[in-house]
Amino acid sequence: MVTTVLLIIHGLLAVALLGAITHQALSVWWKVRKPADSFVTRVRAVPATSYANAVVLLYLLTTLLGGIIYPDYRLNVRVVLEQLEMPAANGSFELKEHFAVLGLAMLPAYWYFWRTPLAENYARTRAALTLIIAFIVWWNFLVGHILNNIRGFGS
Amino acid sequence: MKPAERLPVFVTVFAVVCSVVYILAVYKNYALFTYHPATGQFGAGVEKAGPDGPAMYWYGWIATSSIAGAIAGLIACALPRSLARRVWPGFSWAIPLAGIAVLLYILRNYFLH
Repeated sequence: MVTTVLLIIHGLLAVALLGAITHQALSVWWKVRKPADSFVTRVRAVPATSYANAVVLLYLLTTLLGGIIYPDYRLNVRVVLEQLEMPAANGSFELKEHFAVLGLAMLPAYWYFWRTPLAENYARTRAALTLIIAFIVWWNFLVGHILNNIRGFGS
Repeated sequence: MKPAERLPVFVTVFAVVCSVVYILAVYKNYALFTYHPATGQFGAGVEKAGPDGPAMYWYGWIATSSIAGAIAGLIACALPRSLARRVWPGFSWAIPLAGIAVLLYILRNYFLH
């Protein structure tokens, strides 16, 4: 029961993180040149700097919760995936856990290079860090969601 | 170096060393400690799985790599300014990106069936 609650919180934090990093990545890599007049343009037109601290906090909390519920996955889900002969699913989760750590390694740099006032000479570094962290967050979100679907909620 | 100059050096070196050491730790299993989820027990270094269930090394790999990254970052902060300026901030994303590629290669057998 506790694990299920933590899993739901983990998922909700991941949704918030996904939204924040996606807004930021889009605003950096697909800049708005004219006034926002559509939903997609408004998604891109956010002030990217304002998301940095939220991304750092959400990334840390999401990873922490993932780390807390990981033993349950190891004992109750991974075994089932092996019995079902689903190596790609297991491999996807292996990548998820490793990508999460690479994201943690980049997080201090991400935080520093997004500090205001933004240094123009770090613009490319900032953009690259944001894109890679966005990739990691998307990968981890989708893999977590799919694996949860395979095993079944609360089972 | 002034504190303001040290921080970009620290975060860049941390990202590089933490990523590289983590991948080495995964590949060679250099876990600082092992967790046995079935019994809830921790063990120093790498311990094999017991009869009760599997052993988890992920936490130990994180500990190994983050400590190595922090130590390397602190050492880099003590470098003379002339050397520290050569630390390209782009390493903070380029090396982890390369790490992603290496991990995909290491784990390729999961997907090549």
